[in-house]
Amino acid sequence: MKILPKHSLKAWVERLRATHRVVAPRETYGQYIFEEIENADDLVLDYHTSVLPPKKYLLPPREDLFAFNAKTMEMSPLIEEIQPTVIMALHTCDLHAITLLDKIQGTGHTDQHYQARRRKTTLVSIECLKPCMDHAFCKSMGTLAVPEGFDVHLTDLGDRYAVDIGSEQGEQLIEGLSLFWEPVEADYDRVNQVMAGKWPNFDYRLDCDVTDLPDLLAASQDSALWDEVGDTCLACGQCTKVCPTCYCFDVLDEIDLKLEHGKRIRVWDSCLIEKFAVVAGGHNFRSSQARRLRHRFLRKGKYQFESYGLLGCVGCGRCALSCPAHITPIGLLNTLAERRRPATEEASSRS
Amino acid sequence: MKPKVAFFEFTSCEGCQLTVLDTLQRHPELLEVIEIVQFREAMTERSDDYQIAFIEGSCTRPSDEEKIREIRTQAQIVIAVGACAHLGGINAIRNRMPLDDVREYVYGDKKDWFETYPARPLSAVIKVDAVIPGCPIDRDEFAMAVTHLLQGRMPAIPDYPLCIECKLTENVCMFLRGQTCLGPITRAGCDAICPSCGQGCEGCRGLVPSPNLGSIKEALRERGMTEEQIDARLSLFLTYQTMQMDGVTPA
Repeated sequence: MKILPKHSLKAWVERLRATHRVVAPRETYGQYIFEEIENADDLVLDYHTSVLPPKKYLLPPREDLFAFNAKTMEMSPLIEEIQPTVIMALHTCDLHAITLLDKIQGTGHTDQHYQARRRKTTLVSIECLKPCMDHAFCKSMGTLAVPEGFDVHLTDLGDRYAVDIGSEQGEQLIEGLSLFWEPVEADYDRVNQVMAGKWPNFDYRLDCDVTDLPDLLAASQDSALWDEVGDTCLACGQCTKVCPTCYCFDVLDEIDLKLEHGKRIRVWDSCLIEKFAVVAGGHNFRSSQARRLRHRFLRKGKYQFESYGLLGCVGCGRCALSCPAHITPIGLLNTLAERRRPATEEASSRS
Repeated sequence: MKPKVAFFEFTSCEGCQLTVLDTLQRHPELLEVIEIVQFREAMTERSDDYQIAFIEGSCTRPSDEEKIREIRTQAQIVIAVGACAHLGGINAIRNRMPLDDVREYVYGDKKDWFETYPARPLSAVIKVDAVIPGCPIDRDEFAMAVTHLLQGRMPAIPDYPLCIECKLTENVCMFLRGQTCLGPITRAGCDAICPSCGQGCEGCRGLVPSPNLGSIKEALRERGMTEEQIDARLSLFLTYQTMQMDGVTPA
C-alpha cells in the first residue's frame, strides 16, 4: 500500500497524461460518461454511475474487423493499436465486469480486437464507500470488493487515498513518483475503519443468497412472472446497452457506392430485440418478449456462471435505472425467490 | 450499365427530395453509379424509361392511385421515401376525424370542389419493395439504400428501437429528464437526432416490428400525459399504423 495525498491527485493525473490517454467519468447534464480528459481539473472520482460502462473502451459499440476490396478480392485485418490508456475511477462492479469479459474474450477463440485494446489498458479503480445510486445492488452480487487482478485501487481516506497496487502494469503507473508516500500506522487504521464502516451503507439487496441464484433461475424457468414482466417490457434494449457484461454483437458489411472498398464491422447487439434469435428461414427461437427477457436473466444468473464460473450480473443497477418500464433485476429476482418459497415449504412439509 | 432512376411525389412537402438533392451534393459519386432520368425538383429532362422509382408522399385522393399503379407497372423496384410514403405521414392525422369536417375546415364552402379521401401509405395502394423512413429521410441512409440496390439487394433498415442508438450516444434519457419520448417503440436509423437535441422522439420513422403500445402509454401516463395527449402524441406520424393495429383500414 502507498498513500497519495489528495492535493497530489491532479499532479499524478497530469504525469499519466504525458504517457497515456486518460479516461475518466465526466459530468454532463447531471449524469456521468467516461471520456478522455483533457485536463486533470476535469477529473471526478466521486460519481454516481456512468451511462455506458467503461467496457466501451475494450469493446467499442462499433468496431472495424477487416477491410476488403470487392474488385480485387483482397482483405486486410483492421486491429486498432490504441495508445496506452488509463481508465480512472472504475467502480468495483465495473472491474468485476471486466474480469468476466477478460475471461470470455480470452477463452477458446480469443478475440484479437479485444486483446489488442486490453493489453494497452490499465485500470484504476476506486473503493465504493456508499451506494452510487438507489438501484445498485453490488453488495448482494459480491462485487463491492475489489476483484483479484486489479491494477491500481484507490480508497478515499478523507484527505488522502490509500493506493493498492495489484499488478505490474499498475506498478508502472506510480513507479518512481515522489507523489506517493509510504503509509504510516495511522493510515492502516483508517483503511480498516473506512472498510468496516462502509458495508452497512448498502441496504438495497437480493432476498436470496447470490450463490443460490443459478438454482433459483433454473427452478423458475416456467414461472408465470416472465409473461407478466414480458408484458410490460418495451423491448427497447437499453438494459443491454448499459450492461457492463453484455458483449453480443452483430456483423455487418459496409461498402462504398462504387462497390469496391468495404469494411466488415461489428456493432453491439441486444438479445431483447425481436430479431436477435431469428435464424435463416425465419424461425425465431425466442418468439415472445417473455422468453427473450427470461433468456437475458438466465444468461446473467446461470449460463455464464456455468461456463465461466462467474455470474454475468455485477449488480451495477444501470439496467434498472434506464428501464422506462421500471423492470429491475432486484424486483424480478426477489419476486421469483418469494414465489418459490411457498412451493418449497409445501414440498418439505409433504415429505 | 447504370440503373435508370426516377423520383416522384404525391402528397408531401417534398423535403425528402430536397434531402436527396443534398445527398447528391455530399456524395457526387452517386451520379457515377445511377442515371437519374426523372426528378422534377432537380431537372428539366424527363423520361419514363426507368427501373427504380423513389416515391415521396402519401396517397390522399382516389385519382392518385392510377398514377401510382402506372409507376409500379413501369418500375422493377419501388421504394417509398419518407414518412408520408412510408406511413401516410402527418397527412393521415385527419383519418381519425370525419372526412367531411376536415374538408369543410380546410376548404370551407368550396369543399366539394376538391377530391380527397383518407390518407394512406403507398403500401396501401401498391406493393412497395422497400422503404427509406423518416421525416425527412436521412442522407446517409439514402446513400446506403442505393448501395444496397446496386448490390442487388433490398435496402436494409434497422429493425430495432431508437433507444439503442440514443443510448450509444449517451444522451440523457428523455424519461429520466421527466419528459416524454416515443424512442422505445420507434424504428432506429436517425442516430437519435431529436433526443440528441433535447426533444423527445415523435416516431417519424414508424413503429418497430412489435411495439408494446400498452407499456409506452403507461410510461407516458406516468410522466403526466392525459389520454388525449397520448393519443395526439401517437397520431403525428403513427395514425395509420396505430389504426391498422386496431383493425381499422380506411376505405
